[in-house]
Amino acid sequence: MSCPDCSSKNGATGPYDASSITVLPGLEAVRKNPSMYIGSTDQEGLHRLVYEAVDNSIDESLAGYCSRIHVVIGRDGSCSVEDNGRGIPVDEHPEMACPACQVVLTTLHAGGKFDQGSYFRSAGIHGVGISCVNALSSWLELDVWRANGHYVQSYKVGQPTTALVRKHASERRGTRVRFMPDTSIFDTTQFDHSVLARRLEELAFLHPGIHIQFDDHRQSTSQVYQYDSGILGFIARLNSDRTPLHAKPIYIQLKGEQIELDLALQWTTAYGEAISSYVNSINTVWGGTHVNGLKRALNRSINAYAAKAGLLNADNGERIATFDILEGLTCVLSVRMFDPRFEGQTKTRLTSRYVRETVDEVVSLQLDAILTADPALARVVVGRALDASRARQAARRASDRARYTARDIHVSDEVYQKQFGIRSKTWHKSAVWIANEELLAEHAKMLKMPESARLLDVCCGSGVVGNSFGDRVAEKYGLDITPEMVALASQRLDKVVQGTVYDIPFPEASFDVVCTREVLHLLPNPGKPVSEIFRVLKPGGQFVVGQILPFSELDGPWMYRVFKKKQPLIFNMFQEEDFRQMLLGAGFVDLEMTEYNLWESIDVWIDTHETTSLHRHEIRDLFHNAPAEARAVHPFEILPSGEIRDLWRWCIFSVRKPE
Amino acid sequence: MANLEGLDTHKHLKDAFAEEAVTAYRYLYFAKIADIEGQPDVAQLFRDLAEGGICNAHGSLDYLRTEGDPLTGAPIGETDRNLHAALLAETGEFSDLYPSMAVVAHAEGFPDVASWFETLAKLKRAHVQQLREVIARLESSQASNEGVE
Repeated sequence: MSCPDCSSKNGATGPYDASSITVLPGLEAVRKNPSMYIGSTDQEGLHRLVYEAVDNSIDESLAGYCSRIHVVIGRDGSCSVEDNGRGIPVDEHPEMACPACQVVLTTLHAGGKFDQGSYFRSAGIHGVGISCVNALSSWLELDVWRANGHYVQSYKVGQPTTALVRKHASERRGTRVRFMPDTSIFDTTQFDHSVLARRLEELAFLHPGIHIQFDDHRQSTSQVYQYDSGILGFIARLNSDRTPLHAKPIYIQLKGEQIELDLALQWTTAYGEAISSYVNSINTVWGGTHVNGLKRALNRSINAYAAKAGLLNADNGERIATFDILEGLTCVLSVRMFDPRFEGQTKTRLTSRYVRETVDEVVSLQLDAILTADPALARVVVGRALDASRARQAARRASDRARYTARDIHVSDEVYQKQFGIRSKTWHKSAVWIANEELLAEHAKMLKMPESARLLDVCCGSGVVGNSFGDRVAEKYGLDITPEMVALASQRLDKVVQGTVYDIPFPEASFDVVCTREVLHLLPNPGKPVSEIFRVLKPGGQFVVGQILPFSELDGPWMYRVFKKKQPLIFNMFQEEDFRQMLLGAGFVDLEMTEYNLWESIDVWIDTHETTSLHRHEIRDLFHNAPAEARAVHPFEILPSGEIRDLWRWCIFSVRKPE
Repeated sequence: MANLEGLDTHKHLKDAFAEEAVTAYRYLYFAKIADIEGQPDVAQLFRDLAEGGICNAHGSLDYLRTEGDPLTGAPIGETDRNLHAALLAETGEFSDLYPSMAVVAHAEGFPDVASWFETLAKLKRAHVQQLREVIARLESSQASNEGVE
């Protein structure tokens, strides 16, 4: 037998053979109620099959026996996962009177992981692992290279259709599982390349040195993930399009008997926080006790340092809140431990209580030392948090004042100039819609005026809307309130003027076309700018205006809260009927409307100075706990990575001033 | 129990119901903030208190059930009555309550708050529609059952 008597560095003791497989029956239950075992039967559940198979190989690697994993998506839509581990035992199981590998594949909760002697740390879902994959596959082919032989066995919907056969002699070691997800179980059996690629890359970062090859025959791609840099490399990857505030990430490590911890922290100029947390390489999207321990430690260490360095205002008892510390933080926290407790079958939140104390203790101790030893780093990190904290206080005061001035007429121009001026630098990156060609084309398509037309783009921003009309109009003017945007738009439009839409600095009947987009909701008394637009249009002239609107009245209040938390300057959550009424009420005629739906990354959208850290969290929570009536009409998705994608309903209106 | 009509105790039961209901939803809101701040113990406490608050609100409603809907005064108890009471309340919110709140908000110079009330009014209009459909369906199925008998 090729399997040595194992005494690995990770604490595996005793031989890994048929006698180390524990049996708990009940595979039929998996097919009856798949969601209980794999979380769901949508694409996320489908991908879980791959993760389960890969996790088995990762376990072998953690035990010190596997260095290569090869994942293949076949042209037929099947998946194959192969490793060079010890191979699943093929000898007869003492109680079950069949090969141990068959026990592993056909019995729920059968696997090495229930026997702590075999594996120190285990990834798969409560050991249901590969038998779940088998149960939910229309067919499965098992190859084991072990004990000087190559063994094969075939299964259909979880049941063996052949006995285990030794095909020929072989010196190789390893396991390959090829399976075809059962179309009668899953809503879709199409694997998503990018989701799998991302997870495999993540695993490669979390297990430095391991070689993971991912071939997707459907698109003839092959990719190898192998990193020696571990989570430090992972942080660099995550921050590749952010600007770090300190070159070297902070690295904290613990190698304990009961628990191991790897933590890398790097603050950037971004506004959002990006905490990626793992327990035994399972991505705990919802965090849990390990993340809470980390937050507590960060709060304690950074406040302690700030107090010691005299940075806090002792008179008013100033203290930096945790969410100010988390602003701009990219962090990877990887914990490995015995017998982790999770909430729910898909393990997205860790609940083992003692982990919080351990993480808290280890992180504060080491972080205190790191900050004390490196005052330059401490200034950057503590200064960042302090800035965030004070900016939030100031924003609160400013919004109080905005509220107060609202009593008079409307918010002062200054507020808009400040908000959009700062954003001008990252304008095109701050949301998908701003520079999306198809959406812009939908506006231009509305044009009905001759080529000699003179166009005005109001609140033009960077001028992309006006610019989208190309040479279909003769002259393109722009109007914006911020000098920064005027400068930007001047690169695209013929002439750009600084001014306000409440009092457009052009005489009556100056233009054939006026266009604008996603502006009127930001203005109190939007009827006023609309009547200004009416005024500067020639008789017969056209107004083209795009606006994001709720899908129906059912998602209105929910969307109101999301948008208001993102952008405190929102004054109107228009619905389609309001918008039509406003245009027609101003005297326009010939109303036409087209709809264009566009996916937007909420995470990118809310990563802005306009949105406070608290609001960012609340927005994410609004998506996670969206009311059923909103969900029924408003599509959005929360990806396994935690990223939120929201579908925005763009309504593009065209109206004309009567002849 | 004796009739509560017109007595202070009737009013007090309504007050207690409102107090506990408001308490519960405030605590759920507070719990979210505590979660965001990284204070899960406090969040859990607020959630537990909110759960208790809901139970307490229902306790007052146990008495009020025989007296009428605390919001509209309409009879409640069985589902057909409850549906009608809900329809009555949502109709008032859609046609009167929120629109008039929006008017005041506009007048006092809070266009964003006015927009919020208008958004709520529209949602209530959708609720009215849903409730009407359910009530009509139940009544027609009842009518056809009676026809069979």
